[in-house]
Amino acid sequence: MTPVPMLDVDRLVIRYRAGLFAARPKPAVNGASFRLERGETLGIVGESGSGKTSLLRAILRLLPVESGAIRLDGQDWLALKGDALRKARQKIGVVSQNPFLSLSPRLTIEEILAEPMLAAGQQRGPAMREKIAALLSDCGLPADFLTRRARELSGGQAQRVAIARALALEPGLLILDEPTSALDVSVQAQILNLLSDLKASRGLSMLFVTHNLKVVAHISDSLLVMRRGDVIEFGRTEDVIGAPAEAYTRELLSFGRHDAFS
Amino acid sequence: MPLLDVRNLSVSIPTPDGDVHAVRSVSLQIERGEIHGVIGESGCGKTMTGMATLGLVPKGARIAADRFHFDGEDLGANAARLRGRRIGLISQDPAAALNPVLSIARQLDDVIRTHRDMPRQARRAEAASLLAATGLPDPERVLKSYPHQLSGGMQQRVVIAQALATGADFLIADEPTTALDVSVGAQVLALLRRLVTERGLTVLMITHDMDVIAEACDRATVLYAGRSVETGPVGAVLRSPGHPYTRALLSALPDAAPHGARLAAIDGSIPPPRSAITGCAFAPRCPQAMAVCSAAVPPERGRDTHRWLCHLPEDAA
Repeated sequence: MTPVPMLDVDRLVIRYRAGLFAARPKPAVNGASFRLERGETLGIVGESGSGKTSLLRAILRLLPVESGAIRLDGQDWLALKGDALRKARQKIGVVSQNPFLSLSPRLTIEEILAEPMLAAGQQRGPAMREKIAALLSDCGLPADFLTRRARELSGGQAQRVAIARALALEPGLLILDEPTSALDVSVQAQILNLLSDLKASRGLSMLFVTHNLKVVAHISDSLLVMRRGDVIEFGRTEDVIGAPAEAYTRELLSFGRHDAFS
Repeated sequence: MPLLDVRNLSVSIPTPDGDVHAVRSVSLQIERGEIHGVIGESGCGKTMTGMATLGLVPKGARIAADRFHFDGEDLGANAARLRGRRIGLISQDPAAALNPVLSIARQLDDVIRTHRDMPRQARRAEAASLLAATGLPDPERVLKSYPHQLSGGMQQRVVIAQALATGADFLIADEPTTALDVSVGAQVLALLRRLVTERGLTVLMITHDMDVIAEACDRATVLYAGRSVETGPVGAVLRSPGHPYTRALLSALPDAAPHGARLAAIDGSIPPPRSAITGCAFAPRCPQAMAVCSAAVPPERGRDTHRWLCHLPEDAA
């Protein structure tokens, strides 16, 4: 028997309603089906309006779905309610695009990293302090950052703090929404290396959403291309890059330097 | 004679904690009819170089240069007069550049009325023809629209039409595609190329994206810590970079390494903007640095139009 995938999405449809009597608009996500295997990274690529954010929100249970199914870690994810949902959500960590918007400017880095643990009912104390220090060092930051605040950090350092916070409750799935789009190329390389390290050391599964096909092609095991709500391409990264089935994917790949992927 | 001729430009901004050296020593020679890319990471001075050319530096900033000329005129004294007449700006976020409560017709007309002496009917026709020149289908409908009714790519075309409406022949495009989707950005770059060919425009393209340089530019200048460190034809800079920083930047790109392999990140960080730099600014992070690198300003190397500043002899590159 094959192991249960981390995430199994089956014919998911998401539709925004304009009003009670308005005509039904085209769905934002039109029957998306894909699987994310345990310990793997799935890249989701698409331009604005392609439905990738709607898809993420549905996986985070922030948005109702019209039909279809989502199984997370073998569990019927859409059936969970109330406390059970709250508890199960700890299996997912989220990193967003701009760390300066997602990190509180008022709190110290230590308080930022403590927050998810306190919210999950863990007790303050030496054990928590130790765990926070370990998270920080796992994400490549020195211990003296604990007393600093987000505005004193560079973009790359702040994004490392955001990744550390996402890992605080030891999730199995990390959702990354354009995690390097606000960063410089040399810093982007550091963050992509860090994600590879974390994937190897913690066996994390990752959902990596971006408009930059070259970034996600480098880091992902499989690749999903969305356009106007449809999944137009889904497969192993090397297959999609090597022989893209859709003109749109080829267009994304051909932009810029042409010695790429040689 | 280059259209824009900049030698050793520096821009410092006094603050209570000491001067911020936003631009330390930038040299740029931009020929008529070319798209010249200026590439660098945050804090390298690329935007401030563009702003100095537009005469839009912060109050109190000190500009110095051995030469700072646009078409033979000194930009130190004339930038404000040339701005909007000869030199136009296309900024990163078209939604922020356009007024949300005025129609496109009104916003384009404001520019045409300010810069040209034309009766109202002729101005309306000119506005429509400018929109058509930027590849917008149905200019009449666009004229009646408000910015929020247009997509990002359409808004950026309206901003380009506004820049053309002034009669400017030199455009400074500051990250013009960063806020757009890749496929839409590619169309905007193709439009700029067409305008360069058809109208004889010259473009200074400020970007952090090597793919934009490869896709759109004829020549490129690489900036690091407020200094221009390498300049040359795009093919030469991308395929046989001379400066170790350019090489490091290219190797840090995710498609430079095999699938899934570790990327060559650049260790360390850029020098603080208030610090003084002796020698080469990249020396502390350079894998090939020698003792002389942090002591003396590097000499110019290279041949023909491909030049860089480095202590390493050319064959070591």
